[in-house]
Amino acid sequence: MSTTNLIVAGVGGQGVILATEILGNAAIKENFDVVISEIHGMAQRGGAVVSHVRIGPKVYSPTVVEGLADAILGFEPVEVLRFLRYASDRTRIITSKRRVIPPSVSMGVAQYPSLEQIVGMYRRFTQHITLIDAFTLAEEAGSARTQNIVLVGALAATRALPFKNDTLKACIQERVPRKYLEANLKAFDLGYTEASC
Amino acid sequence: MHLRISVSDLSKLDILVRGRVGESHLLLGNEAVARGALEGGVSVATTYPGTPSSEIADTIALMAREAGIYMEYSTNEMVALEVAAGASISGARAICSMKMVGLNVASDALMTLAYTGVRGGLVVISADDPDCFSSQNEQDNRYYALLANVPCLEPSNAQEAKDMLLSALRLSEEFELPVMLRLVTRVSHARKPVVLGPVEARSRDMKFSRDVKRFVMVPSNARSRHLVLLEKMDRVKKAAEESSLNAVLGEGALGVVTSGVSFNYCMEALNLLDLRASVLKLGLVNPLPTGLIISFLKEHDPVIVVEELEPFLELHIRSIAQGADVRCRILGKLSHPSYLPRNGELSTRLVLSAISKVLDRPTPVDFHYIETGSRMAEALSPPRPPVLCPGCPHMASFHAIKVATGGKAVCATDIGCYALGAQPPLSVGDVMLCMGGSAGVSSGISKVVEEPVVGVVGDSTFFHASIPGLINAVYNKHEFVYVVLDNCTTAMTNFQPHPGTGVTGLGESSKQILIEDVAKGCGVDFVKVTDPYDLKHTISTIKEAVDYKGPAVVISRHKCAILESQERTAKGDEIIQFKIDEEKCTECMACIKSLGCPALAVTEGNVSIDSILCAGCGVCAQVCPYAAIRKG
Repeated sequence: MSTTNLIVAGVGGQGVILATEILGNAAIKENFDVVISEIHGMAQRGGAVVSHVRIGPKVYSPTVVEGLADAILGFEPVEVLRFLRYASDRTRIITSKRRVIPPSVSMGVAQYPSLEQIVGMYRRFTQHITLIDAFTLAEEAGSARTQNIVLVGALAATRALPFKNDTLKACIQERVPRKYLEANLKAFDLGYTEASC
Repeated sequence: MHLRISVSDLSKLDILVRGRVGESHLLLGNEAVARGALEGGVSVATTYPGTPSSEIADTIALMAREAGIYMEYSTNEMVALEVAAGASISGARAICSMKMVGLNVASDALMTLAYTGVRGGLVVISADDPDCFSSQNEQDNRYYALLANVPCLEPSNAQEAKDMLLSALRLSEEFELPVMLRLVTRVSHARKPVVLGPVEARSRDMKFSRDVKRFVMVPSNARSRHLVLLEKMDRVKKAAEESSLNAVLGEGALGVVTSGVSFNYCMEALNLLDLRASVLKLGLVNPLPTGLIISFLKEHDPVIVVEELEPFLELHIRSIAQGADVRCRILGKLSHPSYLPRNGELSTRLVLSAISKVLDRPTPVDFHYIETGSRMAEALSPPRPPVLCPGCPHMASFHAIKVATGGKAVCATDIGCYALGAQPPLSVGDVMLCMGGSAGVSSGISKVVEEPVVGVVGDSTFFHASIPGLINAVYNKHEFVYVVLDNCTTAMTNFQPHPGTGVTGLGESSKQILIEDVAKGCGVDFVKVTDPYDLKHTISTIKEAVDYKGPAVVISRHKCAILESQERTAKGDEIIQFKIDEEKCTECMACIKSLGCPALAVTEGNVSIDSILCAGCGVCAQVCPYAAIRKG
């Protein structure tokens, strides 16, 4: 059995690390080896955040090889652009459509590209693209903070993950505070349904 | 077969302290090291926080009470190592963790501690940061092990990080030497399933016994202790030949020598190339097993040395080959051509490309094609560097410095969140060298230039290493303004306490040491405290300081915005956010251009305040020339 390689990209504070921990715990539950590599410190202050997740019978490298990602899970459209070096025509891109404008754009020193330009660039690499409105779905689930779980649900729907939905849900249950559990489970289902259509 | 359970609703503490032997949990490399401290019967753990090492001590702080470990956030790494050394000399097992540049500070203690040696096992943990993810350089601390002549172990993942801490403690006790455990960001900050082991009993023999010839390093004693050190390291070298820390994996004509995180990239690359090769994985990188290396060189050709940063192993392997007159092609960073870079972190791609080049084969992935496409994609992405948080009091302090000096000041900044102030639009910070360095650097600049000179330092950094610089400034009559950005925590590394907070790492209350008292004690006559959220007062205070003859200290004190918002949320206090009065706003962009607060955004030419991000500090309202920002 081969290794599943994932890139999870977003902005500091969006819950990238919690999402990858849930994936990692699900991997352990299903008797896989797993490695998750993340960057702390300086990179968390509202900056770009990326996590590499590798799941398989035996995994060594903490980082994914360029061109060999099975999926890129984006919490923000531009953040996926930054990591397209990991994509090939086999890669699935699942991303939230909602933009988070970096201060460089507010200050007028950089431009934020249109969604058409962004998706056009994705298409140079792969045609397997799923855009979802994770923020609105998260609000529908009961809290904007469940956006990360909406995206985990959407990732599960693409069958890029080697484990069952129930395992993921059990890991969500173990990892989120009890009072937000219902919203998180709903967020997972909404993300799953949205990406299955 | 290990019992596999997942994190479940057990908290981190439940896993690390109450977890059962044989259970496998997803742990960060640094958390695994903390568990290793418990398993290894460590009694004393010291540190000064620094990325990527911080979670080792933070996790021990969490466990300390229940696990019965004494931990402390020392004022700096040298003090941390001195405390650990004192405990170890008295028979306790001790660890001292720090980021790699911290070892520069602690090195004075380490060099001589190698001579005296230790009693209880003592492990110095250095977390290196290849690629400078959050550091000012990418120094390779294996050279410190060589310089101090102490053993150095290098784990490749979280499981090994825990297990090698135990090996290092045992090695330290067996040879009575301090031992280094060298981690890197991709080990410290990578999560892997880690199998918990049994908890060893604490050392029994905890007492101080006097031995002047061994522990008082006056020259006559130091000379003989140097010989003792050389003899001990000879014995470690012999033991290294049989050590299970070093291993040969796989078979093939091609030989690969590697250590630490680089081992992972080698294994992946060999799998992707579907190549038979023999890998010599060195867990003990100082001293090296000469005999093992000679026989490996004799049995393989060529041998490629795969390591991150400096050609540390390669240099030694070349010297060993020459000494034993082995003719084998040794390829790496010192060969012509060279196969791997001496800067940045390694990756499977780099190792794959290196091995492919050695074998004159195409790489199994077309990296050239990827490079072209990804460069276009990256060019389309607006940069998103780390920034100061919404409501960060440092933003207000930097704005005040700029206004008070008319933007003319030369500014030496320091290590902490506030280094981000060097970026536009704040652009305060012209030099940054090392922890606590801004006082000394400001002094030097002030001797040369006419412009006002401002040194900037954080509160934790102030206690860490700036005090001798400040005393020097008073004594040698330097003239500059020293602005202490006091946000009442060590924010950059995850909010550890420090002497100014009056709380210890164990959560006990302690004497709060005030920066203003320290500055006065250093002989500074101009010492003033201001709240940066009161811009007008902060600007006038800094102006006064600029006009003062002699070193002037301004303490710009306001609690970190993240901590303040957490405290408010806990108390149930509502944050009153600010709003733009669109009728009054002229879109002059003064707020954006002077502060660059992430809560301020411009959409289609209109300024707005993000209701999720706004921390309610009100500094932007003070900056607005049209009174167009008000409490909403």
